[in-house]
Amino acid sequence: MDGIVKEKVEKILQGELRYTSANLAFNMEISKMQRRLKSGSVDMETCIKEMEAFLAKYPIVAKVDLANIAML
Amino acid sequence: MLITLDETVRLINEGKKLHIAADDSLLSQLPKGNWIGGTTPYFISEEGGLLSKEKLFVNEIDYAEEIRVESYGKYNVFQIVEECYDNGLIMLIIPFGTDVAAKYAKEAPEVEELLMHPTIGWISGFDLATGGTAKVYDGTRGESYTDKAVAMYIKLPEGKSAMINMINIFADDKNDPVIQFNDNDLTVSKCTVNGKEMNFAQYIKENGIGTKMPLVADHNGSYINTSIKEVTEDKVSFYASVFRNVEYRFAVNVEDYAGQFRDRVNEASARCPVFSCNCILNYQFGNLEGKKIPPYTGPVTFGEIAYQLINQTLVYCEIMG
Repeated sequence: MDGIVKEKVEKILQGELRYTSANLAFNMEISKMQRRLKSGSVDMETCIKEMEAFLAKYPIVAKVDLANIAML
Repeated sequence: MLITLDETVRLINEGKKLHIAADDSLLSQLPKGNWIGGTTPYFISEEGGLLSKEKLFVNEIDYAEEIRVESYGKYNVFQIVEECYDNGLIMLIIPFGTDVAAKYAKEAPEVEELLMHPTIGWISGFDLATGGTAKVYDGTRGESYTDKAVAMYIKLPEGKSAMINMINIFADDKNDPVIQFNDNDLTVSKCTVNGKEMNFAQYIKENGIGTKMPLVADHNGSYINTSIKEVTEDKVSFYASVFRNVEYRFAVNVEDYAGQFRDRVNEASARCPVFSCNCILNYQFGNLEGKKIPPYTGPVTFGEIAYQLINQTLVYCEIMG
């Protein structure tokens, strides 16, 4: 995840930007991370690491999502 | 495809890898082979929705490099995330009303890494008019279970991946009250409505809320439904679990259930789903008997699994790449 995309993903997780994926799992993952951040049970760095691991599992659709997020 | 018992037996004997949904009277006659199955007499076929105890719905899993089948009880069902293929698909069938179904419903969203392993499936059931016992089958061992889940691990070729999605006619109105619950549960008494604690059953009754509409939670634009099973004097039970720290609202009323369902199907972008299943509540409320909804064919189920257990939804899987 490059710097610009990472910054935008952080904003999505903080609720400052809205992005809905065509991948159900990605939407569920974003929602889970948002709840964890809100409850204070994890920090942003942990969320980003988990998000990177998640996207690595879906390389074909992640490419589209990351390109869309970069354009937000 | 909806086919006869003889045709199904022939496919099994040819060594095909299969997912099979049918009435128990048919599944119990099948020989051992590379298949898993679950009980339901309701289907959406190429010819439309129907109840049949004469035919079986069969998906050929010809996109698999290899498969493995295992069964799990409530204490080990989440081993699926450890035992699955690194690049694959987990197809899971769980019998309705069992401890393993309750465990999966309540805990799946909190299982680490579940979202990293595409998991699709359904809750097996029975003919609602006659009742019965929901079962699942492990065809590789020639066993059936009323208290275990059966999982088929499907290994995909390099460069392919499974993508799971759903079609849901429900959404919320962000101006409606936010309902939250204290725990992950299938039956609740207390809830908070806009932060104020109250009895959920009384809240439903006092506000004349129709329970044909599910609770919906907005997961970053994907709405996950939780359908209401029963409202008693002071308790409300659900077909899937509600979860703590999740904001729910009642779904906005759908005037033309069948029409809305058809519209959502037409809007969906699936080209060639390798598997789909649809909720019995959509079948009933959407009057899907005799109705075709191409390209979505498959069992009509007592609950759908798209990673976690959900309700009143059509779920499907496509193989990408």
